Amino acid sequence: MSEIEFEIDGKLVFANQGDSIISIADREGIDVPRFCYHKKLSVAANCRMCLVDVEGVPKAQPACSTPVANGMKIHTRNDKAKSAQKAVMEFLLINHPLDCPICDQGGECELQDVAMEYGTDVSKFNLGKRIVADKGIGALIQTDMTRCIHCTRCVRFGAEVAGIVEMGGTGRGEGVKIEPFLTEGIQSELSGNMIDVCPVGALTSKPFRYEARTWQMNAVETIARHDLIGSNIYTQTYRGKVKRVVARDNELVNETWISDRDRFSYEGLNHESRALHPKIKKNNKWQEASWEVALDFAISGLKKNAQNPNQLGVLASKNSTLEEYYLMQKLARSFGSENIDYRLDKADLSIGSSMLSNISLSEMESIDHALIVNSYLRLEQPMINHRIRKATLNGASVNTINNKKFDFNYRTNLEVLSSPQKTVLMLQSVLKSLHDKTKTPAPKHLSKITVDDSQNKIADDLITAERPVIVIGEHVNSNISSSDIMNIISEIATLANAKIANLSHSGNSLSAEKVGFKPSNKGKNATSMLSENTKAFLLMDVDLNYDFINPKLAADTFNKDDVFVVSLNSFEDEASQINSDVILPLASFYESSGTHINFDGIAQSFSASVKGPGDSKPGWKIIKVLADLFEFKGFEYTDSTQVADDALAITSIGNNDIVDKNTKAIDDSKIAIHWQYSPYAVDGVTRKAKSLQETPIGKMNAAFISLVTAKELKLSGGDLFHGVPVSINETVADGCVFVHTYQSRKG
Amino acid sequence: MGTPFSKLLELAGGLKEGRTLKAVIPGGSSTPLLSADTAMNMTMDYDSIANAGSMLGAGSVIIMDDTTCMVKTLTRLAHFYYDESCGQCTPCREGTGWLYRVLQRILDGNGKNEDLDLLVSVGEKISGNTICALGDAAATPVESFIRHFRHEFEYYIKHGRSIVESEHHLIEEEAIV
Repeated sequence: MSEIEFEIDGKLVFANQGDSIISIADREGIDVPRFCYHKKLSVAANCRMCLVDVEGVPKAQPACSTPVANGMKIHTRNDKAKSAQKAVMEFLLINHPLDCPICDQGGECELQDVAMEYGTDVSKFNLGKRIVADKGIGALIQTDMTRCIHCTRCVRFGAEVAGIVEMGGTGRGEGVKIEPFLTEGIQSELSGNMIDVCPVGALTSKPFRYEARTWQMNAVETIARHDLIGSNIYTQTYRGKVKRVVARDNELVNETWISDRDRFSYEGLNHESRALHPKIKKNNKWQEASWEVALDFAISGLKKNAQNPNQLGVLASKNSTLEEYYLMQKLARSFGSENIDYRLDKADLSIGSSMLSNISLSEMESIDHALIVNSYLRLEQPMINHRIRKATLNGASVNTINNKKFDFNYRTNLEVLSSPQKTVLMLQSVLKSLHDKTKTPAPKHLSKITVDDSQNKIADDLITAERPVIVIGEHVNSNISSSDIMNIISEIATLANAKIANLSHSGNSLSAEKVGFKPSNKGKNATSMLSENTKAFLLMDVDLNYDFINPKLAADTFNKDDVFVVSLNSFEDEASQINSDVILPLASFYESSGTHINFDGIAQSFSASVKGPGDSKPGWKIIKVLADLFEFKGFEYTDSTQVADDALAITSIGNNDIVDKNTKAIDDSKIAIHWQYSPYAVDGVTRKAKSLQETPIGKMNAAFISLVTAKELKLSGGDLFHGVPVSINETVADGCVFVHTYQSRKG
Repeated sequence: MGTPFSKLLELAGGLKEGRTLKAVIPGGSSTPLLSADTAMNMTMDYDSIANAGSMLGAGSVIIMDDTTCMVKTLTRLAHFYYDESCGQCTPCREGTGWLYRVLQRILDGNGKNEDLDLLVSVGEKISGNTICALGDAAATPVESFIRHFRHEFEYYIKHGRSIVESEHHLIEEEAIV
């Protein structure tokens, strides 16, 4: 890259060969108006707004598509440039409805802003304006295509970033329409970004429609915590309510994009089932209580039922903050109990089932091969999947080993089907193949393992790649042999010199790992707590129907007369209420300060955007007061940042121990059930976000069974399997039922 | 190449009897229009046509005699470019329709004198600002037609009908008398 020297508006600047004029102008703080140009999308040069004067070139040149050259003299605001820019502005406005007073984009509209400088007060256009009929593209994006200026940012976003060509230009000339090709609406898990890239009010947020004017809202910098990324966002609030969430740039974390889950889940915050006041259950009847009464009731109940500290169990979901996890485990340990766990949905809780990743987000982008195991990555971790997609655009290949074939938004080479109970065997075959290929002696227990072509191919691809990664996803959690799977994967990674991305974590569970929100050797894990003699429970943001791998066991346990349950929860619907004895209303996402630890181990702290509704309080404060009432030492915090400092000072409790080198007996159950929640059913707030639930992803509800398995189970298409409609499908492995649904396991 | 235009006209069969040459577009509809005098004095080669103020362009010569209404002709050309615009870039997508509609409005008898300056200014704003040359092509005839035959446009705007039709009408009337 040779450095070149040129002049822009009389200023001498340097750039690299191939840089566009607009990127250098942006760097130098020179404002060039633009609509179609977007730094993360390909150059289209079709809006013509960024025309500038290049000395020696007769016509004005678009700054976005003109590369700089040595000795160039560029004028962005001389008469020639300005008249070209003003001409384009005039054309853009003639067919634009100019309905700013009723347009949600008003106040943050690029067309409005640029028109202030380049438009004229009076239009010379006195003919009828173009009107475009709206087609409706789903529950998230409101269209008003009469306002469209045909910049094609949304089209390019779909094709280049989301990986699904959903929007396109149809027709020609004045009749060009930007519209979806399909009638079902937009299907992408990243679709909301089209709203952000749209420079006008053609695509706006549907849930936000007519809720507030943009200039009335406060924007608070915060972090989304529905996945392992911790996307940087702004919550925009009005009169104490979160009205909208938009992306905030952070090149290291989420670049410019956020997932629909992060963008639209805030709707659940205003759900009518929010817990507003503390409630206690007396004589099997719920009654509202003051915080003092409820806390006393909780403390005495816990003390009475857990006379032996080992009778107290503390459980949390994966969505709490670092501070909440830290204080909650500290409270339990001060009480003398080691019964602490957040892994409510995990079948195999042996220690080997947790494994650390050794690749960073930015490295994910430059891999040349990925083996994805047990994951529908696109929906589970949309932004990490986006990094892998970028790698595939640069030539990386992808193989998968999954229960079912999934719709990735990039090309996969080899999709190997394997039912949950055969996954260990499958991976052992790959491992054996690797031993053969690397000429390393295979351990004895692999001697009887056979290897087929696809397993050889998977091994080959791993060895021949220079920067391979093995991704292990959420589906492994419900596998009874997940520790075996993790063990074999680390052996494969070692032999193939591959990196590991453990994406079986989700939400903020890396924070839980960080502070040791897991039982030590003396304690009981989530499952044994439920089945063994535990008499008192403290639940933090736990949903009885959705969060447990065995909801019936949880319900039965909590329902016992001699079990006392204190539930810190943001909702008081049936699921959280039915079997508990005290509900302490918990401030939810964006209502409490806290910290999220992401895939790269970056701890991102945030402050509260709004106050929790009613009497609800931030979790860290509730736990601190509980600890004070127990008269425990070490809870003298006045600010959540002090808690975070203490939590982050903990040196690695998280373990990377691989135990049990010799794998256990293989699970030989005939038919395995894998229950996978839709990405919009992963936490209470998201489940109650109305618009997300109305999307095709939110409505996902099918039990996929292969023909062979369906015959064995005597099921046919349309039957209900645990309340979920059966879909006979040849893309699912024999011997398993893959349930992909918004419904709880209880259903 | 180099053939005098008058010779070319003759080779093509010349004008119909009793008609006089009014205007010539020497290189396809995207090149500027030339008046009869200018055309008759040029030869069909790059330099000569350039000196005359137009281009050889695609080489398809359009010849108009005194019965041609310049308002109708320009409207037809504007419709062609409006119809041909692909819609990719702004000036052409929006501008060609604007040109066509204003011209059609004049044809419909609803034109105003300001429309002529408007047409020229819209043409200027398309010209040079588009991705491909179709925008320039759409603007060129507008400017040259109005420059050479502004009085015809003004007549149309004032009377709501073509000056050409009116002249012929007068001739017919005289014949009857």
